[in-house]
Amino acid sequence: MMYTQKIAILAKKELRDAFSSPLIYILAGLFSLMMGWLFFNYLLQSKEMTTTTMTQGVIIPIFGNINFIFIFLCPLITMRSFAEEKKQHTLDLLLRSELTEMQIILGKFISNVLMVFFMLSLTLLFPVILAFSGYSDWGVVGSSYLGIALSVMAYTSVGLFCSSLTDNQIVASLLTFCILLGSMLLVISVNATNNYIFALMIQYMTIPFHYEGFTKGLIRSYSFVYFISFLAFFFLLTLKSLQSRKW
Amino acid sequence: MELAIEIENLCKVYPGRTALDNVSFSVKKGSIHGFLGPNGAGKSTTMKILSGLIPKTSGKFKVNGKVGFLPEHPPVYPNMSVKDYLNFVFSIYAHTGSTNHIEEVIKKTGLDDVQNRLIGNLSKGYQQRVGIAQAIVHSPEIIILDEPTVGLDPVAIADIRALILELKNDHTILFSSHQLHDVELLCSDITLINRSKIVVSGAIDTILSNLKTNMSLKARVVTFNDELKKKLQSSFAVESVSYEKDSEHKNTILKISIQGKNDIRPELARFLSDTSIGLLEFNEERGDLEDLFKRIHE
Repeated sequence: MMYTQKIAILAKKELRDAFSSPLIYILAGLFSLMMGWLFFNYLLQSKEMTTTTMTQGVIIPIFGNINFIFIFLCPLITMRSFAEEKKQHTLDLLLRSELTEMQIILGKFISNVLMVFFMLSLTLLFPVILAFSGYSDWGVVGSSYLGIALSVMAYTSVGLFCSSLTDNQIVASLLTFCILLGSMLLVISVNATNNYIFALMIQYMTIPFHYEGFTKGLIRSYSFVYFISFLAFFFLLTLKSLQSRKW
Repeated sequence: MELAIEIENLCKVYPGRTALDNVSFSVKKGSIHGFLGPNGAGKSTTMKILSGLIPKTSGKFKVNGKVGFLPEHPPVYPNMSVKDYLNFVFSIYAHTGSTNHIEEVIKKTGLDDVQNRLIGNLSKGYQQRVGIAQAIVHSPEIIILDEPTVGLDPVAIADIRALILELKNDHTILFSSHQLHDVELLCSDITLINRSKIVVSGAIDTILSNLKTNMSLKARVVTFNDELKKKLQSSFAVESVSYEKDSEHKNTILKISIQGKNDIRPELARFLSDTSIGLLEFNEERGDLEDLFKRIHE
């Protein structure tokens, strides 16, 4: 009980801090503008293409785009978490406190994920609009949201790690962006190899591969294993990075 | 004598650089202990090790009680109000305890008027107070303050000084400072550190009186010459007399060093106030920490 309470205290403070600064609102505004515009276009297109379903014409591409845009937005949200603390000299305040390093990481992770979820919640309007036109394939919508939730959690964990490496927010966000984009490009470079097993292994390592399953309505247990181990790996890296201040 | 902090042969080595070299000293419980030294001498490193921020390389130290720490830069969140900030610090530092205590701390540190303002909008003096409030909010027995008065205006410095004196009743305080004047006013004990090594540590009075072997006096007079100098040397037990014309003020500055520890200032003053000399100013050049600091640098 005590353990989670302390995490909650930190997460609450982080959230209050984030929602009292304009960055999150600017990002949320830009995000909903872009997504709304894309959604509108997909809707118009699907009207012309009578052979495809709503799911294939609207839901799958729009969630593909949401995922892609979060590769740009997540780094901007997570960049400040440790970099700013370092710059303000407040990281030592946290490290000296009763909070363990893991509690600090989890508190920051939860608050950052909630910020991303806040932005994501703005897209809930799309299925509502589709429902008015008689759309009823809620299974795909549900699994897509599950997929995007896991996906942004993975992005956030990368962002936290990069932020813990530097006291410069721009460096932190660029580094996160590079890692995430690199992971995306990995899936393309798989085409270059003729070794089938190797290609499968590489494919398994990338986030988009697992995410795609969710957008098609496929909930595969190994994707959960992948995301959980992905988070654990980056938490471990962040933990080591925080502890390295004591080396 | 109960000790609050004991340090024995503490060493801290960074790759290619020794930050602390066999540092040993102790802080008495209930005292204000001044920690002095030039920049880069190892003050902050020692304080960081004592507060548990960085590990030591070797040696022993014992801190008897909870530690409140104010680092060189107060660790404050500019977007938080003073009250929220202290509540936050309290909740991540203290196991239990009532929040009434926070009100007390706010009052004690003189933050009543600004408790609902954002810390980022406060003056540097107030931010420093918030920093001190942060250090005492979880009721530690020992407070470590790293240069609490640096960069403040004279009024704010006096305020912080008064605050530190007030805190003495409930806490043991170890603080570093460049304001030698502060240290002389506040501390009962001092430790001097230079180039990673302890120079001297002990009661401030003993250290200062050891330093004062010869009393030296400085006087400003209207006129002075060799004849008067001879007369002065023959009538008093002075070690040396030197004088120099101050062309800017159109008078003469006289430096007199007295042998032994006899206080002959009254007689000397009477001699100098003769109409032919015309005494303008007369004061003792004290063997204070300023000297000590200069001496370490040499």
